[in-house]
Amino acid sequence: MGVDRRKVAVFGGALALRLLLLVLFPSLPDLLTGRVEVSTPVTSFKRLQEGLFLYTRNVSPYDGGVFHQAPLLLPIFSLLPSSPGFPFPTVVLYSLIDLINANALITIAESGWAVSGRSYSAIRKHIRWDGVTIAAWFLFNPFTIATCLGRSTAVFTSTGILYALASAVTGKTFNSMLALGFASYLSIYPALLYIPLMLLCYDQRAQTAKTCPSTTVFALQHLAIFVLSIAGLLGISALLIGDFQAFVSATYGFQLLVPDLTPNVGLWWYFFIEIFDSFREFFLGVFWLHLASYMGGLSIRLRRQPLFVLSSLLGIFAVFKPYPSISDASLYFALLPLYRHLFPLMRYTFFAVSALLYATLLGPAFYHLWIYAGSGNANFFYAITLVWSLGLSILLADTIFAALRDEWEYDNPEVRGKDVKQV
Amino acid sequence: MATPAALPPLPFNPSRVRSYVLRLPLFTRLVLLAIIVFWLLELQTVWSVKQWGSLIPEEINIGTMYRLNTYPFIHFGFFHAFLNLLALTPLLERFEAEHGTLTAVALFFGPLSTFPAGAYIVIERFVLHRNTEVFGASVWVFLLLGSEAIRTFKSNPYFSLGPYKIPTWTSPLFACGLVSIFVQNASLLGHLCAIFVGYLFGLGYLKVFVPPEKVLRWIEGKLNLLGRLPHYVSVDQKTFGRYGVLPTTTAGGERATPMSYLGSSQRLAAIRKPRSNPHFLFVHLPHILSFICIVAGVVWLLLLPLNDYSRQTYISENALLPGQVHAYFSGSEQHIFRGYKKELEAILERQTPSEQDSRNEEFTPAVSDEIQSILRAAGLKVATQKYEYTSSGITHQGQNVYAIIQAPRGDATEAIVLVAAWKTADDELNLNGVSLALTLAGYFKRWSLWSKDIIFVFPPDSKSGTQAWIDAYHDMQPAFVQPLPLKSGALQGGLVIEYPFDHRFESLHILYDGVNGQLPNLDLFNTAVSIAGGQMGIGSNLQEIWDHNDSYEMRLQTILRGMVKQGFGYATGAHSSFMPYHIDAITLQPKGDGWQDEMALGRTIEGLCRSLNNLLEHLHQSFFFYLLMQTNRFVSIGTYLPSAMLIAGNFTIMAIALWLRTGYYTGLEQTAVKPPGTAEETNKQAATLTEKSGANTAQQPAVKTVSSSIIERQLALPLTLVVSLHLLGLVPLYIFNNINHQYYPTATYASIAINAILPSVLAASLTRGLTTTPRDQSQQSLLIKSFSLLVLGLFLSTLATLNFSLSFMIGLLCTPLSFVNRIDSRTASRPVRSVLAVAGLVLLNVLSPPVVLLGACRYSGVDVETVLTQAAFGWDVWGMWTQVVVWCVWWPAWVTGCALLGFSLF
Repeated sequence: MGVDRRKVAVFGGALALRLLLLVLFPSLPDLLTGRVEVSTPVTSFKRLQEGLFLYTRNVSPYDGGVFHQAPLLLPIFSLLPSSPGFPFPTVVLYSLIDLINANALITIAESGWAVSGRSYSAIRKHIRWDGVTIAAWFLFNPFTIATCLGRSTAVFTSTGILYALASAVTGKTFNSMLALGFASYLSIYPALLYIPLMLLCYDQRAQTAKTCPSTTVFALQHLAIFVLSIAGLLGISALLIGDFQAFVSATYGFQLLVPDLTPNVGLWWYFFIEIFDSFREFFLGVFWLHLASYMGGLSIRLRRQPLFVLSSLLGIFAVFKPYPSISDASLYFALLPLYRHLFPLMRYTFFAVSALLYATLLGPAFYHLWIYAGSGNANFFYAITLVWSLGLSILLADTIFAALRDEWEYDNPEVRGKDVKQV
Repeated sequence: MATPAALPPLPFNPSRVRSYVLRLPLFTRLVLLAIIVFWLLELQTVWSVKQWGSLIPEEINIGTMYRLNTYPFIHFGFFHAFLNLLALTPLLERFEAEHGTLTAVALFFGPLSTFPAGAYIVIERFVLHRNTEVFGASVWVFLLLGSEAIRTFKSNPYFSLGPYKIPTWTSPLFACGLVSIFVQNASLLGHLCAIFVGYLFGLGYLKVFVPPEKVLRWIEGKLNLLGRLPHYVSVDQKTFGRYGVLPTTTAGGERATPMSYLGSSQRLAAIRKPRSNPHFLFVHLPHILSFICIVAGVVWLLLLPLNDYSRQTYISENALLPGQVHAYFSGSEQHIFRGYKKELEAILERQTPSEQDSRNEEFTPAVSDEIQSILRAAGLKVATQKYEYTSSGITHQGQNVYAIIQAPRGDATEAIVLVAAWKTADDELNLNGVSLALTLAGYFKRWSLWSKDIIFVFPPDSKSGTQAWIDAYHDMQPAFVQPLPLKSGALQGGLVIEYPFDHRFESLHILYDGVNGQLPNLDLFNTAVSIAGGQMGIGSNLQEIWDHNDSYEMRLQTILRGMVKQGFGYATGAHSSFMPYHIDAITLQPKGDGWQDEMALGRTIEGLCRSLNNLLEHLHQSFFFYLLMQTNRFVSIGTYLPSAMLIAGNFTIMAIALWLRTGYYTGLEQTAVKPPGTAEETNKQAATLTEKSGANTAQQPAVKTVSSSIIERQLALPLTLVVSLHLLGLVPLYIFNNINHQYYPTATYASIAINAILPSVLAASLTRGLTTTPRDQSQQSLLIKSFSLLVLGLFLSTLATLNFSLSFMIGLLCTPLSFVNRIDSRTASRPVRSVLAVAGLVLLNVLSPPVVLLGACRYSGVDVETVLTQAAFGWDVWGMWTQVVVWCVWWPAWVTGCALLGFSLF
């Protein structure tokens, strides 16, 4: 069982690395938790602790306007010993969640849905990495490690999304919808993945089952499962927190209306700081519409590769969602190695990676100049977040180009290996 | 895909424009070139081209007659030059094509420039008595328009506009009128003069000035101009065609074009079309660009001291109002000062016999008690703080004494700090400084105008005391430093007083560099200079330059000294520790032997405190990033940053170029065009592979490229190597910060020895361990270099925003790494390779971090042990980051460069 041994080595190494970092640099988790690149108002571990404090003292965790995360996290974390005194259990929990995510990634990779689907099969599908390599890319990605040590609650959303994908490609469509429901319950935006995920489930079902189910019935069935799962979770939350109204407005209202403009790596905060209040509602609508609009376009254009649509959408969310952090980018980077067969077709990888590296280094430097040294200002940091978004967008556009090119070559076998010009 | 036939052909055809431009005759080209060159020259600000060459009526005398010829080449700006170029090109091209190059030269350097100029000067100076300068090629445009108009008039005398008949020769006058109306500053008179001369030329009155055809032909024949000069138009273009004759059809032997001249234009074509020459594009061009970046970066720095790139300092924060208040610190305060000094001296004398050590000036408990009692007597709240630091096996301990004046008009939310260390930054006894601070404490306490608390700190030394105090003030102190029992509000500014001698002083030396190259707000420095100079009449110095004569050399020297201090990032005085907490602070050191006494220094400090007291918000208006070249001149970050960025950019350019090269172009032998059959074969192979791959995907992970010209890159080894070398840098970092101080020289020599061996070992093991083809090896060495330089460029450009000087210095020391390559076994034989590689390794070893350190120590006459002890102290106490940059940025890049050279040995 050579493969298994490799998997054990990778997983063990990842776990050991995280614990080693904690032991060597005991102040690292708290440092990372405070970084705006890692923690956003909706995923911050500090805010979770505040909510936890109120919850364990039988006060509504949403009193005080600091905590904006889903209430189900509270009973889970109240089981753990308090983090400031005993940092170890929390980090172990987060490391285990990383490993679970990696396990889901392996399932996705080994299903082969990234290279071939129901009505399509990539031309270069022999150029691919196996699941353990992809898991290693995810587990040893510095962004993943930083998110893990920063204990951002975004990893739970990632787990939901990755398990939704993993269940979908293995045919467990019910589980898939439940997992997506869980992710959407934690942070709203995964709900936008419903349509491509449903398409993926449908393709999977159509490929394996003898008889094709009707599309409409299938979609409605799964929509029902999805909605019911969310409703169930909301119901449990309502039981936990008495005041349903306050809970919804403090979590989902907060995520939708973006009242907290703490700097982050995204594009919203600066824009909404600068904008006149009278235009705020309008632009909130525009920004959300913009975010949602990709779902339709990509699902239609890349109908034959629903998994690719899902990955690209996650990349788009990492750029355009209201409170993005590097954990969203790390989720996108986790799915990217599945498309190893597209790498030879990509043209700007080096530039995109360089832009991302520059942004990764200059971001903290400019944030330091702005907040600590006082010699810079907000524009410094915002400029760098723009570069970060630009790098991610280039990478996204490039992978989508490569996927389209691959499809085109699949449709037109006579043009394989010829140069094309994009006009 | 073909262009759809239905579209109408474009009226503007780019290929025709191109051929037109490529066929422009010689003189026209030269004139256009000259105009562009003069426009570019005008961009610099040292030498005013306009002043030199334009036609200014009053300036014309025998010595400046050249202006009559130079003015058409000079333009006002880009648009002036561009529009004139557009207008002039067709006219001049036509003229030259008709009359020949020689005639054009003779006429345009003779009558066609001087006559309009002469006419203009005569009218402007003697008739109108004005002195308007003119320049620009429009004079030729109108002149040629004039002569063309006459020719048109001869063949086609009138425009018919309804019943009116307008003579065609007036058309240039209309054009001239329109230009004068629409274009600002167009000289109507100059244009009219040009048109007039143009009419004369067109009517044939200037024929006398045209050189006789015989002479021209003789010159042309003798010099074989037709053969030698490209694009030359012969005198007799009717016989030999518009552009001369092709050499193969030469009639006369003397006209034969030597074939050797053809080569040069081919070479030019190769440079002109880099796309057709991948070797140039991928190998030479990046080197050239990198080199240009480095040179430009250095030249940029050297330009900074010039007046045009630096600025006069100014007070940006209006609330400071420096020197606007009367300073009352004088008279009887001097007696108090002397009294305190006597008391301190008495204590020092008392403890002398008890200690055998000659250095009897320690900050003993007796001194501490005395200071505390004086401060208490003055009515201040007093507290003490003990601290102890251990670095490189040396323990630094002491006790800070500090006292707070609570602001009568404030709410204890803001404070100013005055520091008088018992020992100055140069380790001298600061008796006068401490006495002065004590006197000021008593004096300030009596005033009711303070709106900020004033804190007096008396640390025993300038290195660790303030650091312990400021850390504890912000509750960031390490375990072995006591917390502060007494605190005040946010610190707005800090002043450090040093006065380590007994005589009077001449000028103030201001220290402003902070830890890690952070600088205080320029307003604080300016306020100090302006209060000392403007109110007290005390001159100021900086960077230990005592006789600054404002020359270029002195300015540059001041900048460079400032950069060296900033780059090393050590604490230059007690004030440096404040900077990391965003508290602006400076040290004032009296220097020289003059007539200013301690009261003058006291009044300066009083003025500074009054200014800081005025602040409504934290100093933020002025610059935090600047290079000072004199007390009243500076360069701001926008002006100087490009120089470090250019240096850092050179590495990035090289990294990108190498990445492209590994993907698209591997070497000379690849440039040959593949026979058409192979491409098809490759496709077939790929197709079969695709079919097979379903079964044996795992066995064939590294299948070579399918896509057109893209080569698959092997990233694993280069990435691992570069990342692990950067991590390996942590080892020397740890060693050099944690061993006992007496082992530092040994460690330095050991690291030099290891540096000499390590790259070769690395290269040998990598070559041995990898059994790949030479092509893969060359690709991997290029990729290693690419990643290493990318990381270097990344770090240096980030560093340039934090500590410009350090980034610049390290960038400069790393520049050879851009040009170091693995010498390919296919281009050089083994002995040549070995010799080159060993020579390169020796040269690179001279630039290794420890050797540079040794060299710098030898040059400045400091002991290596002292420097490294100081550095470790900086790391442990001040939070200095210079070592991290050296060991985790510079050293890995250097090792990679050496390893690349080492590869060529094996």
